[in-house]
Amino acid sequence: MRAAEPASTEVRSSDPERALREALGAVHDVEVPEPRLCLSVARAASAIGDEELAARWALKVVDAGDDFTAWNSAGRLLAGLAALPPPRAAASLALLGTSTTEYLTPLLRLAARRRGIDLTVWEAPFNTYRQVVLDPQSPLYRRGFDLVLFAPDDTALSLPLFSDEPDAAVEAETAKWVDLWETIAERTRARIVQCNIALPPRSAFGHLGARLPGSRQTMAQRVNLRLGELAGDGVSLVDCDMLSALVGKDRWFDDRYRLVAKQSVSLPALPVLARHAAAVIAAELGLARKCVVVDLDNTLWGGEVGEVGIEGVVLGNGPEGEAYSAFQEHLLDLTKKGIVLAVCSKNDEDLARSMFEHHPDMRVRLDDVAAFAVSWEPKTDGLRSIAATLDLGLDAMVFVDDNPAERELVRSQLPDVEVVTLPDDPASFASTVADSLLFETRSYTSEDARRVDSYRGRAQSIDLERNATSLDDFYRDLAMHAVLAPFDELHLPRVAQLVGKTNQFNVTTRRHSLAALRDFMESPSIITMYARLEDRFTDHGLVGVLIAVPGGSVLEIDTWLMSCRVIGRTLEHAMLDELVRQAMRAGCTTVRGTYVPTERNSLVADLYERLAFRSVGTSAGTTSWELDVDECLTNEFIKVQSTDDPGDRDVTP
Amino acid sequence: MSLHNRLEAVFHDVFDDETIVLADTTTASDIEDWDSLAHITLMYGIESQFGIQFTANEFAEFTNVGDLKQSLIDKGCE
Repeated sequence: MRAAEPASTEVRSSDPERALREALGAVHDVEVPEPRLCLSVARAASAIGDEELAARWALKVVDAGDDFTAWNSAGRLLAGLAALPPPRAAASLALLGTSTTEYLTPLLRLAARRRGIDLTVWEAPFNTYRQVVLDPQSPLYRRGFDLVLFAPDDTALSLPLFSDEPDAAVEAETAKWVDLWETIAERTRARIVQCNIALPPRSAFGHLGARLPGSRQTMAQRVNLRLGELAGDGVSLVDCDMLSALVGKDRWFDDRYRLVAKQSVSLPALPVLARHAAAVIAAELGLARKCVVVDLDNTLWGGEVGEVGIEGVVLGNGPEGEAYSAFQEHLLDLTKKGIVLAVCSKNDEDLARSMFEHHPDMRVRLDDVAAFAVSWEPKTDGLRSIAATLDLGLDAMVFVDDNPAERELVRSQLPDVEVVTLPDDPASFASTVADSLLFETRSYTSEDARRVDSYRGRAQSIDLERNATSLDDFYRDLAMHAVLAPFDELHLPRVAQLVGKTNQFNVTTRRHSLAALRDFMESPSIITMYARLEDRFTDHGLVGVLIAVPGGSVLEIDTWLMSCRVIGRTLEHAMLDELVRQAMRAGCTTVRGTYVPTERNSLVADLYERLAFRSVGTSAGTTSWELDVDECLTNEFIKVQSTDDPGDRDVTP
Repeated sequence: MSLHNRLEAVFHDVFDDETIVLADTTTASDIEDWDSLAHITLMYGIESQFGIQFTANEFAEFTNVGDLKQSLIDKGCE
């Protein structure tokens, strides 16, 4: 259903009805057809006078891809249609640029209309933005506008290649814009949207410029930062420098357009600019979506929990599992900026809840979910009940589901709900939801944050790097927390994965099979231990594995490894302390370790020495070490929750 | 599709006019909407259709469709 046809189908027919049938045939059963195909339908519909159909398909071009030619044609087609569906909002906008604005205007109107905004645009004459603002008789004031959009490019900056007084130069440059904002605010009620300045990727100073406060590039970056600081709540920003990076600066800056047409942004980059500017305008007009409604199976995690059970879902480990985790993190970030999260899934409700409560790698917890619509009823019912529960309109909701059939159902039955077309690969879920631009908001206040703590945490991470005066302080500030527990079925796959692939922090590099690991797990005398580590910034997940086999009074370490993502966090001390504790309980007096060198594990050649083991022999590079178990504990920095009694575990499969 | 037909298709697309028929002698004055603004859109449309890049100078000035086709042939288009 997703595979789009190549954009080669040209509709050429003298019979307009037939042309429309052919155009519709080319997009039949394609969820997101190519932009040119959407345009073909729009044109064919327009030719027979079906303006509603023409408008619908012209707007689909926006979702279909950032194809300038198709956008440009769709924009002009839409402008010529009389009968459009009623907009959610109407607004007039004055577009003030420092170079050509004619190419942007039809695209901006198209993208705005896709957001439900009927936008009328007046373009100030070429590069007259200052005159238009300063002249009290200019059309800006005589006509009156709801919005003023400043769209400058880097030629608007008059910064020297190098300045001895960068602070003054930056302030002077910033003041030019702030003065214009203030003038507008004094004379009209128009709301101001300011594009910051996309900065060119090349300069004479090159990399040196990045460490010269007086270089043009450093000053220009500071101008952008100052614009953001001074914009405050009164002025909305379109972060064009970020957009130019998103598109690729080499693509955004195509000097031919500048040389030939005084067009500072290349034509192929314009649809992206138009979409983003329209999203900011939508937020400015109060049309931002407030609630993200997500499916569960194959959306928040891989697999169907009803089929494979909690321990069988793909989440947290491996490329796909980590992709789902990253998507959950993105959703959490949205909740932290005030977007409400709801769940709508066809599932067994108890099982779904239990997944949230018991799966160790769930990032989203039940506390984060404002409404939980899990049943076997159609999703349209679920969405309606979520809307009612949260007292939100359907036009405040965004539906995120991996299943194209569910998406189609919602699109056709609840057209007010925005539907995100998730790609097949979960690695792109987070970026796809972000690129939908549906959650652009106008302001951020502390009330928006359900978890202000997380922002505090982020701010402190910057302090941390600056202020941690010693390594010990750094460790303490991390507030690390470890869970040390024997293997269980739930964690065995991840344990096997680490045993199979860990090279660096791995003292013996014994690649035990899953079956062998299960035997260790089930043996009553063998000590198995996995370690999960969390700090105030990140939950690293299961990152450590240890297997030790008792023989008389000696406990022999068979396997000890740690994921490279937590090397240098002192987790080895916490694991050793736990092992010593268990050795004592098992009646052993000595822990013996062996280091078997490989090409990759020199990192741990001195591990046992660092942990105060004494050397008891060397044979062909392999070294043996012993530790008396009554020696004092070594972990200083990690708070440990040890659950070595299987009956005591808080996580059950 | 021949180079001529592909080029014609770009014109149809950019000017939203399926009746346009190109001759080597066709110039901007022969097509109603072919102003300086549409010219850049047209050049971009040709670049993306044929996967080539014009120089700034070529971008700015083509005297007629024949020149345009010759330039495309010179760039290896068929």
